[in-house]
Amino acid sequence: MTDYCIEIENITKRFAQHVAVRNLSLHVPKGSVYGLLGPNGAGKTTTIRMMLDIIAPDEGTIRILGVPFNDKHIPNRIGYLPEERGLYRKMQVRRILRFLAELKGMKGAVADARITEWLERLDLKTAEKDWGLAKIDELSRGMQQKVQFIGTLLHDPDLVILDEPFSGLDPINSQALKDAVVDLKRRGKTVIFSTHLMDNAERLCDSVCIIARGEKVLDGPIARIKAEHGTRNIALSLDGETSESVAEVLADRSLVQRVDDSNRYFEIELAPGADSQRLLRRIVDSGATIQRFELVQPSLHQIFLERVGAAGIESGMAGHG
Amino acid sequence: MAKLWAIVKREYLERVRTKWFIIATVFGPVFFGTIIIVPAVIAKRSKSSSEFTNTVILDATTSGVGQRVAAAMNRMRTPGSAAPQVRVVQPSALSAAESLATHRVMRKEVSGYLVIDRQTLDGEQIRYAGRNATAISDMEGLRSTVKETLLNERLRKEGVDSARLRELTFMPLRLDAERITDKGRGGSGTVSIIFAAIVAFLLYMSIVLYGQNVLRGVLEEKTTRVAEVVVSSVPSETLLAGKVIGVGAVGLTQQVIWVIASVIMFKLRQPVLQRFGVATIPFQLPEISLGLALLLLVFFLLGFTFYASLYAAVGSSVNSEQEAQQAVQPLLILLVATAIFINPILLNPTGQLALVMSLLPFSAPIIMPLRLSLGSVPWYDVAIALAGLVLSCLVAMWLAARIYRVGLLMYGKRPTLREMARWVSYSG
Repeated sequence: MTDYCIEIENITKRFAQHVAVRNLSLHVPKGSVYGLLGPNGAGKTTTIRMMLDIIAPDEGTIRILGVPFNDKHIPNRIGYLPEERGLYRKMQVRRILRFLAELKGMKGAVADARITEWLERLDLKTAEKDWGLAKIDELSRGMQQKVQFIGTLLHDPDLVILDEPFSGLDPINSQALKDAVVDLKRRGKTVIFSTHLMDNAERLCDSVCIIARGEKVLDGPIARIKAEHGTRNIALSLDGETSESVAEVLADRSLVQRVDDSNRYFEIELAPGADSQRLLRRIVDSGATIQRFELVQPSLHQIFLERVGAAGIESGMAGHG
Repeated sequence: MAKLWAIVKREYLERVRTKWFIIATVFGPVFFGTIIIVPAVIAKRSKSSSEFTNTVILDATTSGVGQRVAAAMNRMRTPGSAAPQVRVVQPSALSAAESLATHRVMRKEVSGYLVIDRQTLDGEQIRYAGRNATAISDMEGLRSTVKETLLNERLRKEGVDSARLRELTFMPLRLDAERITDKGRGGSGTVSIIFAAIVAFLLYMSIVLYGQNVLRGVLEEKTTRVAEVVVSSVPSETLLAGKVIGVGAVGLTQQVIWVIASVIMFKLRQPVLQRFGVATIPFQLPEISLGLALLLLVFFLLGFTFYASLYAAVGSSVNSEQEAQQAVQPLLILLVATAIFINPILLNPTGQLALVMSLLPFSAPIIMPLRLSLGSVPWYDVAIALAGLVLSCLVAMWLAARIYRVGLLMYGKRPTLREMARWVSYSG
């Protein structure tokens, strides 16, 4: 059973007032990109902190890379980017990176060479300016995030854990992060990240686990999850303004179980027993110009909404208005 | 161990590199130096200064008393200072001569002028005006010199010959004051009191300063969220230990620099003061045995560890500087209460107060070194204080480690004491 990077069996963590994680089990295959999905307060960060032995579970076991999670040498093989990012403000970039590397058991001299490499790779060290010699306060937010990212990967960890890595990133840094995750996977590393952005997860992850209120809702490879959720979904794009009559059709509960209205794009879940062709005819009759009408697998976003439920979009209620 | 070392190194180097540390370390000795030199220079002003003899004597009598006063002042003159000048003037021209002398004082040619007139000969009054008119002992010196001269004059008129006169009046009476304390009489009493006060003050100051420093460090790691990255790599106990050791080493470095600088300055004190024209009694540095030095070091380390652990616990349980200032009050009260008793204990180092305060763990790190510096302390007192302190240190570290581990990742409202007690009981 060593083809799992992380094996979590029935862990529970209670805090004073509430249970943060309840009887959670999950298995992360080695060399995969794994998404830990859930709404805010679902217990994602608590789960991650338990994997990192920052806090201990009250019950259950965690094995990482084949050994118990509190093994002394495990931290050196993990790279961790916490949700709330921060660095010593008054410290020089190079010194802080060297410090983080030393905490992972690296020798200073080895770390120095790699720091230079990374700074150059992320454009923090160019011919004109070496930001490595600047203090953290002197860096822009984007640059600080790069430094933190270097700190996470400097010791070439086998397991990379990113807690909400996309929050606060601009599109360019966000793309760079995705590239980096793909690169890590290509090099055989395991990447776990938590997010509540389903689009990112759907595109990046091999497998996901959705948790809510501290409990697992579902998990497994994305392909399998989507297949299990059938093809009762329709992707619909309309040209021009959405007319009243179309809205009426979409609000018909005998046809439409649920609709996710993104203004010009709709993801529709058919009502049980409803016929997709009848829906198509009704929309055509309403006078709308259809650009796309396609039977699709539900998006992760849809599955998430369906399984976790979300305020404002409930069964049968069209999101118009 | 390598990771602990990495943390210690960071804590130490990042602090030693700051401007604040460099300024405090350099200006500490400068400050102490000023404390040593300035009072002596001020004291000199209340002794006889070199300006004392740099005066004009306006003799409005024809008795020649002015010359004799000048001669007497000359005998008291310190080397290198100007001799008094005598002007014999007619009583009618006195006011003109006075205004001339005033101008010379204003131009700083002389420091003042002395008027000798009929009333002086009658032993009633002399007048002096000058820059040093407020220097008490300059004035006392002038008065006694003139008085002595007049007395000699009268005795001479009565027919006492000059050799006999000198024999009779020469009396270099010196007051030797020696202090008697509970321990009996000892010449070095003052020295050891000063030494003990400095030791206690230094300990108090570095515990407060560097304890606050630990608190601020913990708070920074918490608010910038660096803590989470660090504790994902090392156990929180290692981070706590590294911080206390690193900051303690910074404090120790500063003290070593201060002590060395102070010793050098004591050695330089004599020549420097001579430059200011102050004659000094050689000041003996207290004899500190190696054993005493080691004992002082042990008390500093234990005291620092005790307070630094508690400061760290406070730092991890709050979210901002403002909250920290409130939460740290109980600790400060312990420290300030100790500091308040330094003075009474200095005055009565063998009393009940001294005994109790030197044994209580929270005040022992400051008061026991004070007692040790004042003289011999029974070995069992030292042993009890040490044992209590070691025990308290262990308890403080244990408590701090548990509060720290939970508090470091806990944001939001400040925990109540009851919540903190629950943190302590968390298993892992």
